[in-house]
Amino acid sequence: MNPSKLLPIKKFTEEYRPYIKAARQTEKNYGFDLRRVAQVEPVLAFLYEQWWRVQVSGLDRLPKNGPAVIVGNNSGLIPWPALMALFALMTREAAPRRLNIIADMDWVEDPSIKAAAAQLGFVPWSSENMKALLNAGELVAVFPEGLAAINKPFSERYRVRDFDWTRLLPAIELGVNIYTMSTVGCDEAIPNILTADKLKALLGLPALPVTPFFPWLPFPFNLGSFPVRWYMHFGRHTPYKTTTDRDALEELAKSQTRFAQGEIQAELNRLLRGRVKSYI
Amino acid sequence: MANWQNLKTLGFVDPLGALKKRCPEFVKRYADGEDEFGFKIDVFARWEPFFRFCFEDYFKVEVRGLENVPRDGAALFIGNHSGLLPIDAGMLAIPLLHSLKPPRRVRYLVTDWFFNVPGVREWVMDTGQVRATLENAEKLIAKGELVGIYPEGLRGVGKTFRERYRLIDFHPGFVQLAIATGTPIIPVATVGGDEIYPNFVNLKGMARELRMPFFPVLLTFPWLPFPLYFFPLPVKWLIHIHPPIKLDYPPEKAKDRKLCLRIAREIQYDIQRDLNAMLRERKSLFTGWDPEDES
Repeated sequence: MNPSKLLPIKKFTEEYRPYIKAARQTEKNYGFDLRRVAQVEPVLAFLYEQWWRVQVSGLDRLPKNGPAVIVGNNSGLIPWPALMALFALMTREAAPRRLNIIADMDWVEDPSIKAAAAQLGFVPWSSENMKALLNAGELVAVFPEGLAAINKPFSERYRVRDFDWTRLLPAIELGVNIYTMSTVGCDEAIPNILTADKLKALLGLPALPVTPFFPWLPFPFNLGSFPVRWYMHFGRHTPYKTTTDRDALEELAKSQTRFAQGEIQAELNRLLRGRVKSYI
Repeated sequence: MANWQNLKTLGFVDPLGALKKRCPEFVKRYADGEDEFGFKIDVFARWEPFFRFCFEDYFKVEVRGLENVPRDGAALFIGNHSGLLPIDAGMLAIPLLHSLKPPRRVRYLVTDWFFNVPGVREWVMDTGQVRATLENAEKLIAKGELVGIYPEGLRGVGKTFRERYRLIDFHPGFVQLAIATGTPIIPVATVGGDEIYPNFVNLKGMARELRMPFFPVLLTFPWLPFPLYFFPLPVKWLIHIHPPIKLDYPPEKAKDRKLCLRIAREIQYDIQRDLNAMLRERKSLFTGWDPEDES
């Protein structure tokens, strides 16, 4: 079943005219391809609107143009929160935008997966890449928990692991605004039921989440998930003054990263509390 | 499991004499002298064995970073509140009494609700707690006391089990106080308190009827008869006292609401980070961080 047959390119161009207009003018050095986005769009739309019924707040805080960084909590072998953010920005009413997602892709060996990810807007992490994107006025999403986010067990759901401050250093060097993104739902839609540390070491993999779906079921079903309602919140950016002094800059990056991590965790707590209330 | 040996000390005829024997320095330091907030050393001595039993034998509290508590002078303890009954306050007071040299007492700022309940009001005041107002806090700091504040307030203790160790946003009042008086802030992260009374539901309507801050439904409450429903689970506790934070701002900066909020948030996020890390390292709910040591 080829998703491109479900929704022809023509329909995509009609529906996403402003998005395509905006995305055409963006950086293409990393292999971004609108055709791939058009192919994947039905899957994303189904997950976003029907399966996870994502509720987004604060999306309009993100600037209409110019560089900005989104920091968030992540989960899953496939970074679904990133893809949901990508879709949310794609369908945003006021000024849809393209999202570049900075990810660790070194351990992905299959070249076709790598190419497909790049076509969607994934960019391998390096400070050069990030600086280049921000200098080109792009919107960049970073998930500084790294692989810890994938390996987190279910008991630690929505507890943010410590952020890697070097991931935000390039942005802080350029003085770009950092927005926080908190996602509730991702850790329960695809729960990590086991920590297979030994098997992980045996296979030499950096991450091996064991979910009710993942290694057990045959191909399309191992990407399955539970229909949990998702909540995403985009927070305010914290103003800061960038410096040129290297030591001061690193200190600033550390404190900003810690603060962003705290903001995300606090927002997750608030979202969860609100959810508990709505259940009762 | 708990060792019930120390419960014997609860039956002391002369609790003050026992406390004098165990902590002569504490009694010498705090027995004399008028206390305008109504601290009574004999009431404190009567209740101390109970809390010590909880601390040593029942919850087996582990305290890290006790060296961060200053020898003298004022400081603000800022912590995460937990566990329906504010037992976490008592669990911090005990190590300051027994393990700290010289021993110190900590005065908690208590919300108004307790002062409206007749029996509780006296008990709270006699054991050294103070009604939470800015003037009271300033007076305590001027005397060089350790002041304990839980900026989450009552909502913090009423957290349900699903929300355990998820901080409610801190009220920035304590930062204003710290800046205005130049007092160092000592963040305290406590793991264990949120699990002693697993609170499944908070019945709001019931709470409103009974004029209680919350009406929890626990394993024991409200099913069992009176004293039995206070029975907590023997969870292993860990209290981590952070190094003091000295805020180097001139006192007039206390009026800067933005700055105060930012500092309050930073402290809140520090405590939350620490809680997450401690929870991650915990191996079991009842044996805690090093199961090997327990056997």
